[in-house]
Amino acid sequence: MEPVFLFSQFFNGLVLGCIYVLLSLGLTVVFGTLGVVNFAHGALYMLGAYAAYTVATHLHLNFLACLILCPVIVAGIGMVLEKCLISKLYKLPHYYNLLLTFGIMFIIQDAIKIIFGPEGEPFNIPDLLQGAVNLGFMYYPKYRLFILVVTALLSGGLWLFIEKTRLGAIIRAGTDNAEMADALGTNISWTFTLIFGLGAGLSGLAGVLAAPIQNVQPAMGMDILVQTFVVVIIGGMGSIGGSILAGLVIGQILTFSIVFWPPGSTTLIYAFMALVLVTRPRGFFGRVSFFE
Amino acid sequence: MQLKARHKIAGIIVGAVFLLAAPYLVPYQALATQMLIFAIFAIGFDILFGYTGLLSFGHAAFFGLGAYGTGLSLIHLTSSVPLALGMGILLAVAVAIPMGFLSTQRHGIYFAMVTLAFAQLIYFIAFQWRSLTGGDDGLQGVPRPSLGPVDLSSDLVYYYFVMAVFILALVLGVRIIRSPFGRALQALRENTDRAMSVGYDPRKYKLISFVISAGFAALAGGLYAMLQNFVPLFSLGLDISGEIVLMTLVGGMGTIYGPVIGAMSIVYVKDFLSSQTDVWPLIMGVLYVVSVMTFRRGVVKELKERFFK
Repeated sequence: MEPVFLFSQFFNGLVLGCIYVLLSLGLTVVFGTLGVVNFAHGALYMLGAYAAYTVATHLHLNFLACLILCPVIVAGIGMVLEKCLISKLYKLPHYYNLLLTFGIMFIIQDAIKIIFGPEGEPFNIPDLLQGAVNLGFMYYPKYRLFILVVTALLSGGLWLFIEKTRLGAIIRAGTDNAEMADALGTNISWTFTLIFGLGAGLSGLAGVLAAPIQNVQPAMGMDILVQTFVVVIIGGMGSIGGSILAGLVIGQILTFSIVFWPPGSTTLIYAFMALVLVTRPRGFFGRVSFFE
Repeated sequence: MQLKARHKIAGIIVGAVFLLAAPYLVPYQALATQMLIFAIFAIGFDILFGYTGLLSFGHAAFFGLGAYGTGLSLIHLTSSVPLALGMGILLAVAVAIPMGFLSTQRHGIYFAMVTLAFAQLIYFIAFQWRSLTGGDDGLQGVPRPSLGPVDLSSDLVYYYFVMAVFILALVLGVRIIRSPFGRALQALRENTDRAMSVGYDPRKYKLISFVISAGFAALAGGLYAMLQNFVPLFSLGLDISGEIVLMTLVGGMGTIYGPVIGAMSIVYVKDFLSSQTDVWPLIMGVLYVVSVMTFRRGVVKELKERFFK
């Protein structure tokens, strides 16, 4: 097998991994701070893709505008959901919010199916990012490199944000002890809304980025949701570094199994998860008994 | 909170009359059978969710394994109904043991996610193993043989057969939760540290509870395969895993009878909605949201509080 082919597959794996990284970062920040496993996360990702489709084809805005506008729209929807529904259940056992978001997932998915139809919509790679770049040892599509760069910048930005800013400090404090942060005079209620918005926005962004390389269709969120769960289980819930590493690993496993053993493309990641659970039950960087 | 004896007797009479008359009360007889099948599923699920405090989001795996196990046995191996149902249960239990062993390493919300992920694994195996399972066409042509002298091919007779199995499952479920084992489960749910300090091994009890609930799910799945003469791939899917949680919650977890009522009501409502409108998944979603936001303590608990206090 040609080394160039393997390299390009490796890059494809990285790009796919980036989508998982963005999705699992949102999921893990929301879980780490609010204790909510957001089943609607995949639906918000799908909303991001449909928002991009609508903005690009009906409002005729360019891709850069989509990339900024659509995550904001999805974040707004997420914040409304948090304020009206999810926040009412924080004091109850975790599974109430899990069921609530499971229901929200159905509502969003079916609403999109009613509005846009079940078939899915074509979404082209933006003109500016079409074509390939010569990397010296191979040619690689510009758009896919663009996803790599955006994800790297965002992950770095998120890390800085959590480590260096006031809101980031609250996320860290909230993760450890929400009541303590509340007692110190932080308005936890609005902070939580913002954090949920951040998670929703990240997932919406993943949807916009994925739109040109995957089919924009109503079931896309459901398909990717469970795989994102696998990423956070492997990476360790609430861990930024764990999400990044596990997302990239899962991207590689998926890509190379499609090349070498197609039936494994849907099953191998779960086998890998089982292996991690046997050898290291809390995941790569998970803390012991965190939110359990 | 014990019910008074006369309430209990009244309840049993109402229940018995309802069970006997159910096929005539619903739009078609097979719907009544389906309601009871999910009630059996819910009894087992309540032992795990309500009494042990573990939320599995992957129990469709066992429902589906029971359905495929029973269906494949009836097609290829045997024409004995109890044997085929037993094979379905055996298959589910054989998968539940390693899956439960791995899942019970994690608690709370992790448990839900890990079980969900394993259920997806089983879903995709069934999806890809076309030669055995029929892939996304489902397993076609599951026969419904006679049970000794009793011909089960009529939907009405099959209903009463499932009703008998349901009553056995209900008695078994109640026996399990009232046994020392069931008490230990509840002790672990309420205070794991205290139960551990008096010598209970939580992981062992959780695993056994997981396997028992998988057995109930598989029994329900096997009966479902015979009812439909067919095993759809979605019997292993996420929708079923979510629905059984909703049924248990709506009925009132930790009451056995509540989840039975919850399961029957939701099967009925879903059938009604899907016959009336194409947008029923949306309405199901609204049902999830409304039941979690409003009557989350469950129908039976609300009734107990209001009328039998």
